[in-house]
Amino acid sequence: MRLIRLIVCAGLTTGVPDGWASGDWPAARRSPAGDAALVWSSPIAIPEWHYQWKSKRRYRPGQTVWASPALAMVEGRPVAFIGGYDQTLHALDLANSRVLWRRMTNADIGAPPVVGLLAGRPVVFLASNDRTLYALDAATGITLWTRELEPSRPTLGEAEMTAPLLMEGRLYVAGFVFDRSLARNEQRGWLYVLDPANGSLRARMEVSQGYVSEPIGFYVDGTPCLAIAARKGLLQCFSLESEVPRLRWRYQMPHEVMGAPAVWSEGGQRILVLGSKFGNLIALDAGEGRELWKRMAGNWFDNSACIGLLDGTPVVFAGSHDYRVYALRAADGHLLWRRALGGEIYSAPAFFNLEGQPHLLVAGLDNHLHLLDARTGRMVTSYYTGRPIWDKLNKGENRWGSPVVVDAGPHTVLVHGSFNDTVYILPLARPATLQARARSVRGLWINLAVAALLFFASLPLLRRP
Amino acid sequence: MTDAIGAILERLETWISDATGNIKIVERALLGMEGSYVELLTILALGLLAILPILVPRRHRQRWRTFNQALGVVVFIFVVFTCLGVFGMIRNFHRGLSEIGRENIVALYYCSVPAVILTTSMLFGPAFCGWICPTGALQEWIGALTRPWNDRRKAQGWPFSRWALAGALAIAAVFALWMIRLSVTRLFFIEDASIYWSEILVLITILATLNMTRWDRPLRRLRWVSFALVTAASFLSLRVTSPVHLGFAKVYDPASLLSTVMVIMAALLIPHVWCRYLCPWRSAIAWAGRCSVRTIVHDPSQCLSCGACDRVCGVEAIHNGRIEPDECHFCLKCVDRCPRGALTVKDDWNRPCG
Repeated sequence: MRLIRLIVCAGLTTGVPDGWASGDWPAARRSPAGDAALVWSSPIAIPEWHYQWKSKRRYRPGQTVWASPALAMVEGRPVAFIGGYDQTLHALDLANSRVLWRRMTNADIGAPPVVGLLAGRPVVFLASNDRTLYALDAATGITLWTRELEPSRPTLGEAEMTAPLLMEGRLYVAGFVFDRSLARNEQRGWLYVLDPANGSLRARMEVSQGYVSEPIGFYVDGTPCLAIAARKGLLQCFSLESEVPRLRWRYQMPHEVMGAPAVWSEGGQRILVLGSKFGNLIALDAGEGRELWKRMAGNWFDNSACIGLLDGTPVVFAGSHDYRVYALRAADGHLLWRRALGGEIYSAPAFFNLEGQPHLLVAGLDNHLHLLDARTGRMVTSYYTGRPIWDKLNKGENRWGSPVVVDAGPHTVLVHGSFNDTVYILPLARPATLQARARSVRGLWINLAVAALLFFASLPLLRRP
Repeated sequence: MTDAIGAILERLETWISDATGNIKIVERALLGMEGSYVELLTILALGLLAILPILVPRRHRQRWRTFNQALGVVVFIFVVFTCLGVFGMIRNFHRGLSEIGRENIVALYYCSVPAVILTTSMLFGPAFCGWICPTGALQEWIGALTRPWNDRRKAQGWPFSRWALAGALAIAAVFALWMIRLSVTRLFFIEDASIYWSEILVLITILATLNMTRWDRPLRRLRWVSFALVTAASFLSLRVTSPVHLGFAKVYDPASLLSTVMVIMAALLIPHVWCRYLCPWRSAIAWAGRCSVRTIVHDPSQCLSCGACDRVCGVEAIHNGRIEPDECHFCLKCVDRCPRGALTVKDDWNRPCG
């Protein structure tokens, strides 16, 4: 009997299912380091494209306009998968500038999908805020399966689901669901473990009592691990050796956390980096959760950092709301450079090679995408990506999509869903039609003049008895 | 020349940004069940601070009050992470209500602090303004620099003064030049609406220095306009921050720095200028304090009509012993200054509202 139990347990903890592989984009920013760049070797040029789709959905202030895209090779060509407040996942064939397919869900999409391989075919996994996980064939958009992660009931509030994570043959996804009713009052941040082949729920555990960021998977001394941060600042690391994740360590960040950790676990190093709304960037030993170093910026970090190799040395890149992008040596936090840009940096950076040199791409609240030389922070160029569709932008309380890159040598392009409701595919190695644009201050002075006029107009009313 | 000035200003801005990048003495903010309770302690601190006015002995009461204000400054500026300033308490109260059932600990924090202040105002009078509010404390301390001059002008019925007008125009010039600089170097978002409030404050200062007697009372009605605007913004999910948001927030905020400096400069010319004319929280506290158990009572039989209470009141809320409840900050300076004890603090649980 004991032998039978051991066999059953061994079967349950077996790793990769048959025919399954992680694929091109197994995590929100592709890798645990968060580089967000897909390498593609092809002589085919990717044309510039400004994609817009007018849905009938009304934008509600505070929603993410476009989430970060995911990239994958589908039938030999690069495809971007991107969702947004229109409740629709769009598959964009970048090489031919056409829409492959669209898939509508029942709620807005605030997080990027991931792409895995099943029997050699790419499959897109998407968690929509309708509390449902979708598995779609990447080439056709055909639904392979769906899984409602939280049973629907009338008193459930709006959920916020994260990007999934494909790792060790399992699919991990997190989400915050709450119920305001007195009878079923609850606020829980869940981590779900599913079988990517059929969507069956293998495990579910509560990791927070509030919002959570996307799970990040990495290896520590060969052990698969998962790190997940709660909005209220609790960072937890789980070991994934068994089907039910086992807590390895915890760390409390000093303030709210809106991004996900970035992890560098190569070359014997194991560094986890996370920023918070306190304005500091904290590096931990990914295996033990022990603090390695802490650096302070002038304002929030409200998105993920990324870690890239510069001349063999891992470097942390992060953008802060103090207008600056920081480059810090991952091992000790030594500041290599910091560059002030035209606006508050809200995006996670993308790290990639362009013409043999490392580059960085970030988006700022100055309505520009900025391309920087990753070695020196020198500004290479900027692209004006338009004003937000909701102009009363609350800068500290919204999370916007971050750009990603198709690293294709001379045909390298960026893909970014801007908050002006347009998805931009722009070449980086040759001129694009978008240019940097000087800011007009006319609107500000008009507003000040209107305020003064209203004040003087109200004076007779104020004097009335 | 322009480049040199621009470079100097840029270095100054970088220095201010770095210097104010972390003014908080604690490293952990509101974290609810998963972490420390540091910011929840501000609720306790506020409760204690609100009770202190009724516990301190009359002797040296004003020193205790100054100590209390200093504690309030330390708590709000060096401990609290979240904007619980005059706008923040109204806006975040609305946010706290909407968080009930979603993030309860956040709801508790955002609702508790305004609720504690309003409740203590209902019971013990609007002592928050005179004993705790860091904005009021800042204006009072700054105003002490020009108090002898302003006291003379007040005693003479606020006659027109060229110096006062020159000062007001200088403030306006600082505002204009600073705005020109900021408009070039920074982007403005809805959070930076404080610049409009400080613009109005500058215009008020000019108007008041031209004819204080004519405009002082009418302009005080703008507090209700301020309250209505902030409340409306809360319902529209517009995160407008107050002119003194800089001190409460964790981060460097250039628009709020400008606005804070405007409040400080204007307080040199007009005592408690922000409290008098634009503070929305003043309106809420005044409304709550109308029904307070604790009041200042005037005994005409003891009153000499010496005007000592008039002279000492920073917001001109008292005239020959008659107190305007909507203006009184409950600092008790008039009570402490009265030579005959005609003004006393009394508790009356049967007192009717109004």
